[in-house]
Amino acid sequence: MDKVTFYEQLAKILDIGEVKPADVLRDFEAWDSLAALSILAMADSKYGVTIKAEEIRSVVTAEQLANLVESRQK
Amino acid sequence: MKSIFKNKKISAIVSVVPKEEYRFDDEFPAFKLTPEKAKRFKKMMSLDRHRIAPPDVCSSDLCQYGLEQLLKDGTLKKEEIGALVFVSQTPDYFMPPTSNVIHGKLGLGHDVICLDINQGCAGFLLGLVQAFLLLEISALPKVVLLNGDVCSKMMDKCNRISYPLTGDAGSVTVIERCEAENPIYMDIKNDGSRYKAILVPAGAFRTPATAETIKLHEVEEGVVQSEQHIHMDGAAIFNFTMNSVPAQVDETLAFSGDTRESIDWFLFHQPNPFILTQMAEKMKIPAAKLPNNIVSLYGNCSSVTIPLNIALNCGEQLREKSLRVCFSGFGVGLTWLTMVMDLGPLPVCKIVDYERA
Amino acid sequence: MNFTFHRKRITGMLVVLPENERSFSEEMKNFNFPEARSLKLKEVMGFDKRRVVEPGVCVSDLAVFGLQHLFEAGLLKREDIDALLLITQTPDHFVPPTSNIIQGRLGLKQDMLCLDISQACAGFVLGLMQAFMLLEQESIKKVVLINADVLSRKASPKDRNIYPLIGDAASIAIVERDPQDSTIHASLKMDGARAGALTIPAGGLRQPSSMETAILEDVGDNNLRAKDHLFMDGAAIFNFVQTEVPPMIEGLLAHAGVAKDGVDYFLCHQPNRFMLQKLAEKMKVPYEKMPNNVVEHFGNNSGVSIPTVIAYNLATRLLQENVRVCLAGFGAGLTWSAMLLNLGSLSFNAIIEYK
Repeated sequence: MDKVTFYEQLAKILDIGEVKPADVLRDFEAWDSLAALSILAMADSKYGVTIKAEEIRSVVTAEQLANLVESRQK
Repeated sequence: MKSIFKNKKISAIVSVVPKEEYRFDDEFPAFKLTPEKAKRFKKMMSLDRHRIAPPDVCSSDLCQYGLEQLLKDGTLKKEEIGALVFVSQTPDYFMPPTSNVIHGKLGLGHDVICLDINQGCAGFLLGLVQAFLLLEISALPKVVLLNGDVCSKMMDKCNRISYPLTGDAGSVTVIERCEAENPIYMDIKNDGSRYKAILVPAGAFRTPATAETIKLHEVEEGVVQSEQHIHMDGAAIFNFTMNSVPAQVDETLAFSGDTRESIDWFLFHQPNPFILTQMAEKMKIPAAKLPNNIVSLYGNCSSVTIPLNIALNCGEQLREKSLRVCFSGFGVGLTWLTMVMDLGPLPVCKIVDYERA
Repeated sequence: MNFTFHRKRITGMLVVLPENERSFSEEMKNFNFPEARSLKLKEVMGFDKRRVVEPGVCVSDLAVFGLQHLFEAGLLKREDIDALLLITQTPDHFVPPTSNIIQGRLGLKQDMLCLDISQACAGFVLGLMQAFMLLEQESIKKVVLINADVLSRKASPKDRNIYPLIGDAASIAIVERDPQDSTIHASLKMDGARAGALTIPAGGLRQPSSMETAILEDVGDNNLRAKDHLFMDGAAIFNFVQTEVPPMIEGLLAHAGVAKDGVDYFLCHQPNRFMLQKLAEKMKVPYEKMPNNVVEHFGNNSGVSIPTVIAYNLATRLLQENVRVCLAGFGAGLTWSAMLLNLGSLSFNAIIEYK
């Protein structure tokens, strides 16, 4: 999985210029249930994987989220 | 579960919406949203406006008005009504059935069968199935399918996720037998193991309404709800929709011998434009064939989104000709139902504003 | 209107009653009436014992219990259920349908139909008609018809007309195609103009429950009732039953070409002893042919009353024999219905207790 593209897509969802791997997701101003929904949609349409809301809530950083999506691709 | 229905057709559809229209731009200050968040939300969900019924207007009022219009303009005669099927998740009463109440108000004959069915999102299509079953009884003239919901009464006005997306509406559909075979193909599936994805926890008999159940709780910033309100697990619904509906649509098209090209319109239930865009992409259906504008104009009005969809997007075309359509209703239950048929011509296919008597 | 159905039959029946039994003699003390008058009412109406659910128990609990019993006894296979039809006016929730909840709790297959229809006392006959219509579809071979209500939860403890009368229950009827060329005649009528005779005024969307709707009001006859409670206009319903039910049954028998003597049993909804006695007299049907013993043992249990009268009076007989019966259900709506059919032999016809 191309993580650079993933972080770019995540930045778009969070309406922010850049997202770094170590960034804590819940610190973003736009982080809420709607952002979570957009992430689910992205996981499905761009990466072909299904993830659950609880799984998104359980990760802390952007990198952990990327790893979660990547792990589902196998 | 697949079925084919033959020699049946829809002959008229009237949708009824409250006159009262509210714009998101006017409402969002009540939602505890910063202007930036409001802008993002509005864009993501293509929000514009919705119709909300006044406090004293119920599902039956909207449906009754639509039926009265059809009787008044001669599209339907009282003696042609063989059955009233009322599909709703917001009935007027536990007892008696709301269809009986409408029957009484319209002074219909004793031979008219009245049936109340509990359904939401898949309710227009499930109501059609019921109509098709009833029409196998040769003595029954026509069936009037009433779909009506006032879901706005099952949420708090300050719930920033639910309220802006919801709408109230009713519809009246006349279904009858026809000479032409006109086969209608359908598939229905149910998964009650995920029933909690769309749930009203209290107010009926599992947890009766009390002073406790009416108390509001803030489950997330700006998301206030009580136990008597509709609780929606957005993520679960999204996953369900994306994983279950495309497969069913493919199955039903294969069943009817259709392709994406042979279908003129994909007229789906409208939960919100975001999900529908995702679905169209996933299913490789051109956006032009999958209308996605009901929520922006009227809100998600439960089972009535499909009749509104038909009238708004195909009404004009349908007056002159027949169209090959693929319907899909999915949600509460969880239930998902897809149906392929030739629709039209429909001389009466419109949306009207509710007027008080 | 009269309807005819072909090649359909009931193959098994089960009634699920709550274990919890109440007795009129004990509860009499709560009412604002002298004891002597209450005892007279007891005799006339047939009040004695009734079955009522414990708080927190709902329609889906009774239904799941009954179906699990059938699965465990090898009388029904999960995968054979093509349609689950639930007839109730006391659903678990407004959203989602209770039939979906039952389907989910029992792990039934996805390729099936779930349908909640709102009906009470006329619900068994209406449910059978719906089941017969469903069985016309090729993909539906077995329908599970569930009638269930927990109306005791809406009975005012201070209403002597209602409280001692209401019972809770669920019934399960398995309906399938009949290889034999059988005919079933049915009749169904509705009159919404008289809907007000049997209602629960508040709780739906017309008048949501609130502090006001919970207030007990003296309705003028020394009974206290709130808008949240079940209301029955006894006199109106009595007149309704006497006026409408006999001609419907007579019309149905004439349509089917069957004489009254040709019917083995008239299995009617059991509103109370008095009403059913009067009905038998009006129709000139001997009391023995119109069993009238459900209210005194179990209460008036809404749409389950006909299955209860069948299971209670014809338990073993229907396992071996085939009898010609005329069913009659009448109540909320107002709705009245009748059905003439051969019943039996059934694979099962029992009453079990919900624990």
